[in-house]
Amino acid sequence: MIKEIGELLKGMSITMRHFVTPPVTVQYPEVKRPVRNRFKGRHELKRYDNGLEKCIGCALCAAACPADAIFVEASENTDENRFSPGERYSSTYEINMLRCIYCGFCEDACPTEAIVLEHNYELSFYDRQSAIYTKDMLIVDVPVNGLPTPQTVEPGIFNKAIPEMEDPK
Amino acid sequence: MMLEMTQKEEKFIIPIGPQHPALKEPGHFEFAVDGELVTDATVRLGYVHRGIEKGAEARNWNQNLYLVERICGICSHIHAFTYARGVERLAEVEVPPRAQAIRVLVAELERIHSHMLWFGVAAHEAGFDTLFMFSWRDRETIMDILEGLTGNRVNYSANVLGGVKFDVTDEHRKTILEAVDFMEKRTKHYLNVVTTDAMFLQRTRGIGVANLQQAHRLGILGPTARASGVKRDVRVDAPYSAYKQFPIKMVVETAGDLEARFVVRLKELFESYRLIREILNNMPEGDLQVKRFPRRIKPGEVISRVEAPRGEVFYYIRSNGGEMPERLKVRTPTMMNMASVLAMAVGHQLADMPMLLVGIDPCFSCNDRGVAICNSKGDHDQWTWERLRQHGIDFYAEKV
Ligand code: SF4
Ligand code: SF4
Repeated sequence: MIKEIGELLKGMSITMRHFVTPPVTVQYPEVKRPVRNRFKGRHELKRYDNGLEKCIGCALCAAACPADAIFVEASENTDENRFSPGERYSSTYEINMLRCIYCGFCEDACPTEAIVLEHNYELSFYDRQSAIYTKDMLIVDVPVNGLPTPQTVEPGIFNKAIPEMEDPK
Repeated sequence: MMLEMTQKEEKFIIPIGPQHPALKEPGHFEFAVDGELVTDATVRLGYVHRGIEKGAEARNWNQNLYLVERICGICSHIHAFTYARGVERLAEVEVPPRAQAIRVLVAELERIHSHMLWFGVAAHEAGFDTLFMFSWRDRETIMDILEGLTGNRVNYSANVLGGVKFDVTDEHRKTILEAVDFMEKRTKHYLNVVTTDAMFLQRTRGIGVANLQQAHRLGILGPTARASGVKRDVRVDAPYSAYKQFPIKMVVETAGDLEARFVVRLKELFESYRLIREILNNMPEGDLQVKRFPRRIKPGEVISRVEAPRGEVFYYIRSNGGEMPERLKVRTPTMMNMASVLAMAVGHQLADMPMLLVGIDPCFSCNDRGVAICNSKGDHDQWTWERLRQHGIDFYAEKV
């Protein structure tokens, strides 16, 4: 009898202890749990500091994508109408977020580090059509010191499509 | 629980599934009962067949890495690991030691989170929901580590052909070691609970016994087999990758009942913790990937075996020298263990069935592998990917 009461008290003490310890759950969406640095969320198309787009429309990401989620169409750059360094830029860039499996392979394939999987994970759509993210939705804002694309530039500066880069650490 | 009953040849058959509150994933079971006692059991699988093996034949070697990772939601790294290992052997590429160590590190972390997940589900099936909540809370520690390490909580895509994608930094090392210490403390507590809690033992001790002979006859794999005294663990029998430098001790129990399955899995976790510490403290230096991996792989065939949390995963890969595999055959542990559930079910109460099923740590999406399509004449023929696709489109077009 005494033993049983002892067991009961032991059980209740655990309950009481958890009663006062703070909960491990968070009140999403009011409170958001920060993601880790390497988290692979929604893609972003990056720009250089001067505002030019990094993407050169090479479609290597589309070729690497195991889910066939990316569609790229390239057009010619001119110095009066320059979107990105080099000869071509992506005039159409679409990712179907319903197909994408967030593997990050596009990121690895990209020669200019134009496409990066960032930390946004709140993707929801009302219909399938809006699951297709266009270039306007993917591309980041123009940096403070940069100019929006297309830019008119001096001829002969931005001939090289792929910048000098170090090996990723 | 509401059950639909049908009478067949003087036997009462209780069909459960494919959709049923007691099942987390779709599968169809038929239990013949005499009162509350189960006298016969059959199973029908294949409700989540996705045609992955066929799909692999239409994707290149690299893309398949991501496809096979999605065979199982829990042991995703293991599938990619097995596949990568097979393809690397086929291409005769040697993976750098640091990459091998990182692969094994992720595999062991995955084993921890898989076993913790199973532990929670099993506790839930036993009606011990507090334990379920606790174990899943603790499992989050490992999920966080995996997210920090690889970027994803599940489907880490840690592998590339010829290496791994990311490095383990000193910072990671510290957080992993801390988390492992915490998990070790918790696991000790859980081991204590499952072996002493009187109510829990009533659901597990002496239930679903598969003895050594049965285990051999039914070809059981993984922790389920080791709970019956079968010494079978690919990590020990045929050490692969970094298990050669970092050997592991096999955990074997002999009772063969549900309790033994709990004990084996929990004790295995201690081995995983030890191994993780050892790897982190003796991480080999060097590259993460080979410089170049061929796009086309020379003709040949290979088998690749890896010990997943649930047992042995077996891949057969054949190449005809092209950019895509000619054939990929996957055999998963749950498929092998399913027969044991049916054998063990006989003579038990109907109420024990969920516990028995969960005892093998079933993964239903792992079950649905091979495909043989019979036409109306009853003979098989091989279908191309296009034809299979068209069949699917037509099938659903008819339904609408
Ligand atoms: S993350 Fe993977 S699936 Fe998604 S677009 Fe990039 S390569 Fe394709
Ligand atoms: S995102 Fe990168 S890989 Fe894709 S088209 Fe642009 S430059 Fe090429």
